[in-house]
Amino acid sequence: MTLLAPILGGLIYGVERVLRARMQRRQGPPLLQPFYDMFKLMEKRTLIIHAMHVLLGVLHFLILWLTVGAIFFGWNLLYVIFLHLFALIVLVMAGYSVRSVYSHLGANRELLAMVAYEPVLILVAVGFFLQSGSFEISKIMQGEGYLMQMPLLFMALLMIIPIKVKKSPFDVVEAHQEIVGGVEVEYSGLFYEFIYMARFLEYIFIYSFVFLFGGSSVWLGLVLVVAAFFLVNLVDNATARVRTADMIKIVYVGAITLCVINLLWIVL
Amino acid sequence: MAALTFILIPLIAASVILFVQNILYQQLLSGLVLIVLSFFAFLLFTSSESLIFALPHLVDIAVIFADIILLFYFIHQGRVYNDNKVLGLGILQLILYGWIEMLLPSSSTSSIVIDELSKMMFVIINTVGGIIIFYAVKYISYEKMDGFRKRLFLAYLFIFLSIMNALVMVNSILLFFFLFEMTTLASYLLIGFRKDELSQKNALRALWMNQIGGMVILLGAVVTITMFDTVAFDQLLSSSGGYLLFAVALLSMAAFVKGAAMPFDGWLLGAMVAPTPVSAMLHSATMVKIAPYMILKFAPVLAGTLLGGIVSVYGALVFVAASYFALSKEIFKEILGYSTIALLGLMVSLAAIGTQASQKIVIVLILFHAFSKALLFLTTGVLEKEHHMKSIESMKGLVQRAPKSVAFLIFGFMTLVLPPFGLFMGKLFALQAVSGNMMRSPWQIIVLLGVIIGSVLLSLLYFKVVSALLAKESDIKSTERESLPAGFALPLILLSAMIVSASVWLFKTQSGLPLYYLLIPVALLLLIPWFYRKIEGFDRAKEYHCGEKETFDAALFYFDTTALVKRRIYWFFGLLFVAVALVGVIS
Amino acid sequence: MKFLKKFRKKAPWILHYNAGSCNGCDIEILASLSPKFDLERFGVINTGNPKQSDIFLVTGPVTYRSRERLIELYTQIPEPKVVIAVGSCTATGGVFRGMYNVEDGIDQYIPVDVYVPGCASSPQLIIDGVVKALEILENKSKEIEKPFKLFGEIKQVGKLTSRRDMAKKIKEAEDEDKS
Repeated sequence: MTLLAPILGGLIYGVERVLRARMQRRQGPPLLQPFYDMFKLMEKRTLIIHAMHVLLGVLHFLILWLTVGAIFFGWNLLYVIFLHLFALIVLVMAGYSVRSVYSHLGANRELLAMVAYEPVLILVAVGFFLQSGSFEISKIMQGEGYLMQMPLLFMALLMIIPIKVKKSPFDVVEAHQEIVGGVEVEYSGLFYEFIYMARFLEYIFIYSFVFLFGGSSVWLGLVLVVAAFFLVNLVDNATARVRTADMIKIVYVGAITLCVINLLWIVL
Repeated sequence: MAALTFILIPLIAASVILFVQNILYQQLLSGLVLIVLSFFAFLLFTSSESLIFALPHLVDIAVIFADIILLFYFIHQGRVYNDNKVLGLGILQLILYGWIEMLLPSSSTSSIVIDELSKMMFVIINTVGGIIIFYAVKYISYEKMDGFRKRLFLAYLFIFLSIMNALVMVNSILLFFFLFEMTTLASYLLIGFRKDELSQKNALRALWMNQIGGMVILLGAVVTITMFDTVAFDQLLSSSGGYLLFAVALLSMAAFVKGAAMPFDGWLLGAMVAPTPVSAMLHSATMVKIAPYMILKFAPVLAGTLLGGIVSVYGALVFVAASYFALSKEIFKEILGYSTIALLGLMVSLAAIGTQASQKIVIVLILFHAFSKALLFLTTGVLEKEHHMKSIESMKGLVQRAPKSVAFLIFGFMTLVLPPFGLFMGKLFALQAVSGNMMRSPWQIIVLLGVIIGSVLLSLLYFKVVSALLAKESDIKSTERESLPAGFALPLILLSAMIVSASVWLFKTQSGLPLYYLLIPVALLLLIPWFYRKIEGFDRAKEYHCGEKETFDAALFYFDTTALVKRRIYWFFGLLFVAVALVGVIS
Repeated sequence: MKFLKKFRKKAPWILHYNAGSCNGCDIEILASLSPKFDLERFGVINTGNPKQSDIFLVTGPVTYRSRERLIELYTQIPEPKVVIAVGSCTATGGVFRGMYNVEDGIDQYIPVDVYVPGCASSPQLIIDGVVKALEILENKSKEIEKPFKLFGEIKQVGKLTSRRDMAKKIKEAEDEDKS
C-alpha cells in the first residue's frame, strides 16, 4: 500500500485539478495529467545547479514517502509528525543550499509556515491521545466519536490544510507570482519530478489526519476527507493570498485558540 | 574516596599547568585529566550504590572563613569599580551570612551525598569539561596575552571543574551557597578575562545578578534553619510542614537566576564576550545546568503542588520567550546563548512536574544539551579564531570556505532538533508525558503549548542560521580545503562521537520497531556524498534571476520586538519571579 | 525512449516572455489561459520558471534591454524546447520595423519554430500555434540548442558540463566586437 502512495497521491492531485477547473466553469486537464507531467519531465535534459541541492530534494521525497509509510503501518502519530518535520527541514536546507534569491525566500517562507501549522498538528495529536488513550494510529483508528468530542480541533485542522497543500489563502509558500515557485525554482527535469511527487505525498499526509477523525468507521472518514477536499478547493478559488505575518497571526489567534479551548473542554 | 579524586585532581592539574609552557604538554596534561576523570565518572556511574559520608567539622570552619573572604572580595570589587549594586548586595549577603552562622546549631555537620543525579552530573561535567579544557589550550594560544596569563586561564578552568564537581556532591545548604558563590566568582573572573571595558562591565553585571541568586539561597537557608533546625538538603526534603514549600520556593528562585531565566537573561548574554571556552563550559554545558539540577533535587517535593505548577509555567514561558528573542540577534554566540536559556527553561519546567518519567526526561535533556551546545560553542570558537567572524551576517556562503566547520555546525543543530538524537527524543517523551499528565492537572496545557511553540521557534531559529551558511554557488570549482588544526578538530570529533554513541545508547533502552525506522532518514542523509558521481552527467545551469546575469543574495530575516513590548515582557517575568516566592508563602 | 516521447505533447509547460512588446499579445496569451479559451485542457501550465518549461512564448520586437535577458532565459530552458513567436512584431518587427531601438524580430537571436501572426494575435491563433508546436516538440532531439548571437561558451570542467556562461552580456559582446 505504501509503495502505491505516490500513485494514489497523483490521482488525488489529478482529481483536484479537474475539480478546480469545473468550479471555474472550464474543462480542465485530463484526469491522469499528473502522470503525463511525470513522464514528460523524465524526458527532459536535466539541468541542475549542484549535486547537493538535487540530492537533498530527492531525500526530501524519500523521507516524505517514509512518513506516509509510517502512517499506513499505523505507528505513533508523534513520530509521523516529526518525520514530516525532518522531511521539511531537508527541503529547507536544499532551498538554502543554492545561491538563488527565490530559493532562499521560498525556504524562509517554508520555515515560517512550519511555525504556523506544526503546533496545530501536535495539538490535534494530543487531542487524539486524550480521547483514545494512545498516540498509536492503529489504536486511534479503533476509537470512535472523535468528531463529537473534538469539533473545534477539526475546524483548526481545516484551517491549516491550505498551508500544507499550498492553496489560498495560505499559499505564501509557493507564491507563484511573487517568488516564482519558492523552493522548487531551481529544480528541472528528472529532479523536479521528485519534488512534484513530494507534493502528492503531502496531500496524503494531511488528508490522513482528516481521515483519522472518522475513527473506526471508514465511511465517515472518507466522507470527511471528500468534504474537506471540496471545501479547501472552494476556498482556494474564492480567496486571495494573505501575507506571511498575517497567516501566522490568523493561525495562532484562530486555530490554536480553538485547539486550546477544545483540549481544555476534553480535560475538564 | 571518589569524591576527593574529583575535587583534587583538577586542583592539582591547575597548579601544575601554571608551570607548563609548551602547548603540546599542556594538551597532553589536559587530555590526561580528561581520560582519568571520565574513567572515574563512568566507573561511578555504572556502580549502583549511593555514597554518603560526613565531612569533618574542620571543613565547615574552613568554608566559613573562605566564604567571608569571598564576600569581602565581592564588596571590594564593588568599591573599586563603583558599582553600587555589587557593593550593596555583597554587604547584604555578608549580614545574612553572619546571622545564619549565629543561628546555626553548633553541633551540625555537613555531609556529602552522591546519588544517581550526582553521578550523571559527574559524567557530564568531567567529560564535557575535560574536552573543553583540551580545546581551550589551543584556543587561548591565539589570544594576545602573555604566557602566564594564558596558563592562568587554563588553571581557572581546572579550578572551576573541581568546584562544579564539589557542587553536585554537597548536602549542606551553606556549603552549596559557598560553591554557588565560587562559581559566580569564576564567572566574574573569566568573563572579565580579556580586561577590556566591555568585558569588565559585563562581568560586573553577571556578578550582581548572580549575587541575587546567592542572597535568595541565604534567605532559603534562614527559613530552613528557623523552621526545620537543619541545613541539610536531604533532611529538608524529607520533612513536612507549612514552610517547606517556602524554603523550596526561595531555592528555586536561585535556580532561575543561575539559569538566566527572564528577567535575568542579561548576564548570560553579556557573558558572551568572554573567550569561547568560557561560554562553552560555564554558560552552556556545566554551570547553568545547576538550574535544572536544583529543581530535580526538589522534584519529589514539587510534584503536584501549586508551587510546582507555577515553576513549570514559568519555565515553559521562558522557553518560548527566549526562543523568540533569539530571532532578533545577530551575533552567533548570543543566538546560542538565548537558545541555552530557552532549553534550560524547558528543563526546569519539565523537572518541576515532578513525576518519575519527567525526571528521567530532564536527565536525558541535560546530557544531550550539554554535548550539543558544547559542540556548537566550540565550533563557534574555531570560526572566531580561524576565520575571524562573529556575526551571522559575515557567515554567508561559509560552506565554500570552511566546509568542515560548517559540517560540525549543521550536525550540532541537527542534534538539537531532529530524530534520532537525544534532544529530540527528550522533547518527544516530554510531549507524551505532559499529555499524559493533562488529565490530572489541566494547567499543564500551558506547559504543553510552551513546549510545542518553543521547539517550533527554536527550529526556525536554527535553520535560519543554517540558511546563511549553506549557500553554495556551483560545484564546478571544488571547495577549498579548510585547514582545521588538530587541537580544534579533536575535541569536535570527540563530542560528535559522544553524541552519536549516547543517542544509540538511548535507543537501546527503548524498544519498538518505529525507532529504527527513524534512523533511515539519517542514514540516507549521510549517504548523500556517495551519489555525487551519478550526478556528474547533468548540465550545470545558472540560477534563475529573471534573466539577469548578476547574482543576488537574499538577506537573513530578523524579528525585532519593539522596546515597549520587551519592557512589558520583562515586567511580566519579574512579576512571575516574585510570584514564585509568594506562592511558596501561601502554600 | 519512444514510449515517453509521446508524453512530451501531453503536458507542455509555457514560459511567457515579453521582449519589449506593447502588451497586446501578452493580454491575448493570458486570455487564452482563462476559462473562456482554456489552454489548460491540453495540460498547459504557465510556469514562470524557464527550468521547468518546454515552450518559450515570446512577444515583442527585441529591444536593446531585453536582448540579454532573452538569451539568458533561452539558455536556461532545458531541451527539448520549442520557441513560438507570437505577433507580427516578434516575426518581422511589425509596426516598429526599422526603428532605432528594436531588432526586427527574434529570429536573428534564437531559432524559432512557430510564427503566430496577428497584431494583436488572438487566442484562437495562439492555441493553433501551440498545437502545431506540440507536434514539432514531439520530434525534437535533446541536443543543446544554441542561440545565434550573444552566445558565450559551454565549459567542460572535468566531467561536468557547465551552461552557466552560455549567454553573454551585451557589454562584453560589444567590447569583443570592437577589439
